[in-house]
Amino acid sequence: MRSTVAIAFVAAAVLLLAPGRASARIKLAALPERERVDIQLDNDRYTLVEEQRIVPLLKSTPQQGNNMIDFSWTNTQIDKDSIQFRPIAIKEGETFRPIRKVDGQDEVGVINVAYPPGENSLVWEVFSADACAVKVKVSYLIAGLTRSFSYRAGADKDETSLTLKKYIQLRNYSGEDFGQAGVWAGFGPQFLKPVGQQEDIKMLLHRFDGVPIDKTYTFDWYTNGRLSPEKPLASKVVMHYKLVNDEKHAMGLFPLQGGKARIFIDDGRGGEAFLGEDWAQLTPLDGDMKLYLGEARDIVCTRTVKTNKRHKVQGNLFNQEIEIVYEIENFKDKPATLDIVEQINSMAREFGGDPHGDAEWEIEPRTSKEIGITYETGGATPALHVKLPPAAKGKDAKVAKQTAVFHLTIKNLW
Amino acid sequence: MMRIMIIAALGLTFLAGEAAAKNIDLVTLPKRGAVQLTIYNSEDLTLVKETRDITLKAGANKLQFSWAGTLIDPTSVEFRPLTHADKVELVDTIFPGQKPQHLIWNVDSQFEGQVKVEVTYFTSGLTWSMDYVAVTDPAESAMRLSGYVRVFNNSGEEYENAQVRLIVGTINLVEKIAELARRQGIPPPAVETKYSRALKRKAVMAGIAQAEMLAGGALDASGPKEIIKEGLSEYFMFTVEGTETIPDGWSKRMIAVEADDVKFDIVYRMRSYQYGDRPVRLFVWRNDAEHKLGDSPLPDGRVRLFRANESEALSFLGEQLISYVPVKAEIEVNLGPDDLVVYETRNTSTKRLAFHFRKDDRGKEYVDGWDERQEWIDTIRNYRTKAITFELRRQWVGDVEYESEVDTTLFDYRTIQAGFTVGARSKQQYPATVVRHQGVNSRQSRITLKK
Repeated sequence: MRSTVAIAFVAAAVLLLAPGRASARIKLAALPERERVDIQLDNDRYTLVEEQRIVPLLKSTPQQGNNMIDFSWTNTQIDKDSIQFRPIAIKEGETFRPIRKVDGQDEVGVINVAYPPGENSLVWEVFSADACAVKVKVSYLIAGLTRSFSYRAGADKDETSLTLKKYIQLRNYSGEDFGQAGVWAGFGPQFLKPVGQQEDIKMLLHRFDGVPIDKTYTFDWYTNGRLSPEKPLASKVVMHYKLVNDEKHAMGLFPLQGGKARIFIDDGRGGEAFLGEDWAQLTPLDGDMKLYLGEARDIVCTRTVKTNKRHKVQGNLFNQEIEIVYEIENFKDKPATLDIVEQINSMAREFGGDPHGDAEWEIEPRTSKEIGITYETGGATPALHVKLPPAAKGKDAKVAKQTAVFHLTIKNLW
Repeated sequence: MMRIMIIAALGLTFLAGEAAAKNIDLVTLPKRGAVQLTIYNSEDLTLVKETRDITLKAGANKLQFSWAGTLIDPTSVEFRPLTHADKVELVDTIFPGQKPQHLIWNVDSQFEGQVKVEVTYFTSGLTWSMDYVAVTDPAESAMRLSGYVRVFNNSGEEYENAQVRLIVGTINLVEKIAELARRQGIPPPAVETKYSRALKRKAVMAGIAQAEMLAGGALDASGPKEIIKEGLSEYFMFTVEGTETIPDGWSKRMIAVEADDVKFDIVYRMRSYQYGDRPVRLFVWRNDAEHKLGDSPLPDGRVRLFRANESEALSFLGEQLISYVPVKAEIEVNLGPDDLVVYETRNTSTKRLAFHFRKDDRGKEYVDGWDERQEWIDTIRNYRTKAITFELRRQWVGDVEYESEVDTTLFDYRTIQAGFTVGARSKQQYPATVVRHQGVNSRQSRITLKK
């Protein structure tokens, strides 16, 4: 495919003699080839392309450049104001040496940049203390060259650990064919890949093996509502894989950017089964990545409000005592923990009225002693963790209903 | 293409008083000598000063000045003899009705021979802007800052070998130059009197003259190529040394400010009301000598920040428009959220107390005032390999008592602020107790800090 970004060393006299209209520019140009292209994807909003070229320069002075370098592009969306010309090194024999200072000034430098009207091009006027070949980097921000991230999680059969592969997908709809290019995401390996026009390239950035899985089951009445008219006291039990992005959990190398995650499980017969997919959120170091797996049908939970009692305090001020009983059945042959999320503000509105901000509440004594309570998202959203034994084995064995009680008082309502 | 011309008409005795009626002229075209462009960036305004050598005969002379296809304000065109000034007098200026974009100067001369004259006028279509490129070292401890001026010529005229001067600052214009150019000499509305216009022009010209004196000679194009910066009343002037040719339709970008090894601070700020729900990373430095800058104010412009990596490659860190930065003032560039610095805030408990009741006619009590006491814990996690400076500001609405064991001050009546140094790969917690007086308990709209 033809390259649409070009750089030309222009015979200076010809350009200066024809400084008028863009269409009238007559150029005699040598075309320095791209030596290398680097695509920097470490910024999530912008893509920086850096080209390395060897440009021949004539001897000149900072007052009079004598080297006109024309950079032009077609059918690509380059941010014209972002284009930089950076001399890096000067060729000496077969090697390159760094650019030195001569009289306190770099021996090669840009004097000015001219932008012709109606053209996607610019002309650098460059001086050089001596006639030489210079290695330069031409960098620019470009649109249409984007990256996204995706994940593939492969869980083992007993769902205790998984292999998480993080991919970067490069989409090149910039209008330019970059040929062999270095691609860097800001972390992980640097790839050297041909990046052609209208190509999508998916590359494995990192593979995390043996990542422990915490498979969670969550019951959240105020988010999911009743399961159906026929089962008005039941609600969905939703499943997630919870991964922790830290070293203890075999990750913790870098933040995990958001992206689609496809989840597979070892089917025990040498193959894999697809469990579903979810949008993984940006997960900072030490953060949790929760991947939604769908609804659990083998854990059933009903929620019954047994007590709803108002206790007057003074005037129209009252406390609302609430006792909720959960009946849980685990039909799985493995133990599990059910996380019951209660939203006290919603509960206050349902049973008492406006909580006037975050509700004030207390746990009362009849709350089951064996449940653990955490407050991951704040004091008004407790999560009750109920451990469930596996279903009894045997054809005729019945699945026991486990009961948990959450007894609380929402205080100072009116 | 050159469209601005001075024509010295021949056969003056025949043309005198009836030049406008003639359609066939025989003329000479004095070449433009030096040109000086003084371009303002706050308005679409450029003061053009050009010199030409013309030959005058003793007695009445007629000079025609035309500017077809350009954006010159005809009311601003002025003529001034630079040599033999005591013997050359401008008698009057005629704008011929049937010839737009023309004027005729009737000049009375007691001298016969070559005279250098200066023609000045305002034009629109010449503008300039500034932009900055900063490249930090791989450790992000210092940077090289380059500021560029870019001059755009869409005036319709090509100014060859012009001295270019750029004015930084905001001037007041009561009418746009482009609008005056479109009117082609029709007098402006009555609100703009000849007197006020003359005063304005006099003021601008006086300022320019003062700057020329400071610059040590206006149209001298010799010397090394650099941009001289100098103060001018409330404005600042950048003078591009030497001359530049900017063809019509082209623009040209030149280095105006350059400083190497500019140290800067990296600051993280959490201000949800200003920056959103994640902390942002800012590079902060000053336009002063300590930061290898401070020679001049820095005009408005976009700053693009890059980091030079070990491999000679760049990473793009971000960009931001900055407003005019006076000398010694601070410059901040917001690079947006950083995935390696995490801020979380959680309300861990809520209690209500100090209830106040009002009684109705029947003696029934209703809550009409209370205090809400909340415990909050903020956590800052830094995963970078060096310590960071973190600034927290948070707004609380209403009558609030605020207490924290960490040093906290008030930024304003409703905003607390606290600062932290969070070590490399470590975290810092910031606990606070907030009591909000509600209903009739609320007597103020402010935060009171409790120690």
